[in-house]
Amino acid sequence: MASVELQGLTKFYHKRRGVENLSLDIHDKEFMAVFGPAGAGKTTTLNLIAGIVTPNSGTVKLGGRDIGGLEPADRNVAMVFESYALYPQFNVYDNMAFPLRSPKFKMPEDKIKERVTHHAKVMRIDHLLQRPIQALSNGQRQRTALGRALVRNPDVFLLDEPLSHLDAKLRHSMRAELKEMRTQLGTTTIYVTHDYLEAMSLGDRVAVLNQGHLLQLASPDDVYFRPASIDVAKFFGDPEVNIFDATLKTSGGSQISVQMLGENIPLALPPDVVQILNEKHTSKIQVGVRPPDVRIAPEGDKQAFHATIYSFEPLGTKSILTLKAVDGSFVRALVDGHLTFEIDRRTQFCIDPHLLIIFDGQSQKFLARSADSIENS
Amino acid sequence: MAELLYKKLVKQYRPDLPPALDRLDLNIRDGEFIALLGPSGCGKSTTLRMTAGLESISDGQIVIGGKVVNNTHPKDRGIGLAFENYALYPPLTVRDNLAFNLKAHGVKQAEIDKRVAEIAKYLHVEELLELKPAALSSGQKQRVNIARALIRRPAVLLLDEPLSHLDAALRVKMRTEIKRLHTEQRFTTIIVTHDQLEAMALADRIAVLNDGKLQQFDTPLQVFNHPANEFVAGFLGEPPMNIFAVKGDSNRRLVVPGTEFSLPITDFVGRLLGERKSVRLGARPWGIHVSQTPSEVSVPGTVSVVENLGDETRVGVRYGDMLLMASTDITRVYKPGSKVHLTFEDEDLNLFDEDTGERLTA
Repeated sequence: MASVELQGLTKFYHKRRGVENLSLDIHDKEFMAVFGPAGAGKTTTLNLIAGIVTPNSGTVKLGGRDIGGLEPADRNVAMVFESYALYPQFNVYDNMAFPLRSPKFKMPEDKIKERVTHHAKVMRIDHLLQRPIQALSNGQRQRTALGRALVRNPDVFLLDEPLSHLDAKLRHSMRAELKEMRTQLGTTTIYVTHDYLEAMSLGDRVAVLNQGHLLQLASPDDVYFRPASIDVAKFFGDPEVNIFDATLKTSGGSQISVQMLGENIPLALPPDVVQILNEKHTSKIQVGVRPPDVRIAPEGDKQAFHATIYSFEPLGTKSILTLKAVDGSFVRALVDGHLTFEIDRRTQFCIDPHLLIIFDGQSQKFLARSADSIENS
Repeated sequence: MAELLYKKLVKQYRPDLPPALDRLDLNIRDGEFIALLGPSGCGKSTTLRMTAGLESISDGQIVIGGKVVNNTHPKDRGIGLAFENYALYPPLTVRDNLAFNLKAHGVKQAEIDKRVAEIAKYLHVEELLELKPAALSSGQKQRVNIARALIRRPAVLLLDEPLSHLDAALRVKMRTEIKRLHTEQRFTTIIVTHDQLEAMALADRIAVLNDGKLQQFDTPLQVFNHPANEFVAGFLGEPPMNIFAVKGDSNRRLVVPGTEFSLPITDFVGRLLGERKSVRLGARPWGIHVSQTPSEVSVPGTVSVVENLGDETRVGVRYGDMLLMASTDITRVYKPGSKVHLTFEDEDLNLFDEDTGERLTA
C-alpha cells in the first residue's frame, strides 16, 4: 500500500510562497499529474514528498504513515529529474544496477541481473544494456533514467518534467510511449509538468496548481470540460478558450437564454444548465467557448453571429481563424485545414449552447455545463 | 518595399568544414512574407545575418530592390531588424524609442514627428507614445519593436525568432497580430524561426533549410501536404507524421515484417513504388482513419495506448518497435487491447526513398 496524503502543507522560501495549505490524496497505484505554470509550486510539492525540503507546517503521509521525520533516503521514493543525471562513464546496465549495488541494498549480482533485465524489458531498452550512455538517443536516455528509478521497487515514483527538454516531435511520441508503459509500472506515480497535453494524457487525475494553491483536482475530462475557473480553462487547450461576457434572459416561464457578442441572438440553455443557474440565483455570467466549438455558419443563418475575418493562420490539418464580432470581441475558431478564408471578409458563425462553459461573472468560478455535451461519444 | 533575391548564396566559415549555407537560391516577391524554417544549425540565422550585413558573404549575391548589396554598408541596405529580445531603451518613452534612429541619422524634427505619428497609427500604438517600455505588455512591446524597425521605411523587414521567448498563450496571440499587421501593410518580411507552427501560420511561403541546404520552398499547405522529402515531412506537423520502414511482399502488400501491419498496394501506391522492394512510409495521425470494422483495404491492429486530449483522441497501435499514432475526434470507444482497423487514404500516404529520403511522386 502506497497512497500519498498531503495535509495542509505550507512551504515558504523566505517570503516567496512555494505552496500554501496544500492538501492532496493520491491513491495507491494512481498516476497523478501535477500541472501548473512556472512558480505554481509543482516542484516544491515533489520535494516535500521526497523529503528534500521540510514544510513550515502540514504533514506528508506515505501508506498512512507520517514520514515527516524520515530522511529522503529512508522514504523509499524514487525521483527522476528533467536532466536524467545518468553516469556517463557507465553503460546502461551499470547505470540501472547502480542503486541496487549501493550500501543500502547490497543486492547479490544474480538478483540484480534479474531485476535490471525485467525493468529494461518494460522500458524497451533490453537490447541496449551494454551500450555506453553517450551512444543513446535522448529518448533512450530517458528510459534508462526511468528504469534506474524503477529497479529499487519504490513505493512512490516522482517525475519532474521528464519530457520538457525534448524537442516537440519527440515529446509527442515519448508521451505516448510513457503512457503505454504506465500500465506496467503498477507504482504510485506523481508526475510534474507544465504541458497540458502531458497532464491530460498521462494523469488518472490532474491537480492544477497556480501560485502555490490547488485550483482543481479532477479527471482530465473534467479539467477540460468542467474547469473549476476561467484560469483553469485557459491553462488547457491551444488555442486558448474564448471567454465572453454574457447576459441571461428569462423568457416564457422556465426558459433561460444567453446573449453575448453584442447581438440579439438568444441561445437557449439546456434544462440541466437552467436548473443549476436557478438554484444559484445567478445573474451575471461569463461563458467559455473552445475554438473547435465555434462553427462557420452558412450565410443568412438567423441563429448565427456576424463577424469579419481578422486573421487566418493555416496550421496544416487545422487552421486558426480569428473573427471580430459585432461588439469588437475577438473569437478564435479552429477550422478544417482544407478551407481558406480571406481577411476582412464578412462571415457568420454559430455556437451550440450545449457546449457553453458557464462561469460566475463575479468570482469567475465554474457554474455549469450541460451533461449531454460531447464527451459521452 | 522591395523584392529580395538570394543568388547561390554561400557562407563558409572554415575551408575544412561543410558550408553553413550552401548555394541558397530564393526569389522573394515585393510584399511577401517568407519564413526561414529549420532546426538549429540549418543556416537560417546565418542567412538573416548576411542579409542584414552582420556577416560577410562567402559567395553568391544578395539583391534588394534590383541592387546587389554584397558590399553595401549595413545601414544603407534598407533593412529593418526586430530581434527576439526587444532591446527598447528603458529610460526613453515609446515616442523617443521610435524617433531614436531617425535622430541619429539627422532627420529633421518635423519629419520625425510626422513619421512617428504615421507609424504609430499603422501599428496601433498611438496611445502608448508617452509611456516607457516598462509600462507596456509584451504584446505592446512587440508592436513598438516592429514599429521601430519599420520607421526608417526599410525595403525588407527581418524578424529573428520574435516570439520564442513568450509563453504559449501569448505567442499564439502575437502570431495573430503579426499576421494581421502584414496583411494590412504587406511589407516584405523574412522571419527566422524553428517553430513550424509559427512558419505555417505566418508565411506566404516557407523555405525549409537543413544542414545549410534548401529542402523546399513553397506555400505552407504545399509544404505540409506535399513535402519534398522525409526531413520536411518529419519537421512539419504536430502531432508528427508517423514514418517507418515497410517491405513489399509477394501478395502485393506493404508489410512491417514480424507484425500484423499489412497494407494492400493500391494502383496509386504501386505506381509510386515502381521496382522498389522496400520503402519508408509516412502517414499523418489525422490522415489515418480508425474503425472497429474491417474493410478490404484496412490494416488490422491492437490498441496499445489511448490519449484523451480534450477535443481530440489519439489512438496508438504498436507494430514491433513502432508505435503508430492516429488522431480522431473525441471518442471513448477504444481501450488498450481493442482490436481496430486502420485505413490509409491514398492522398494522405507519403512514400520516401529509403536511401535518398526523397518523396516518391508518380
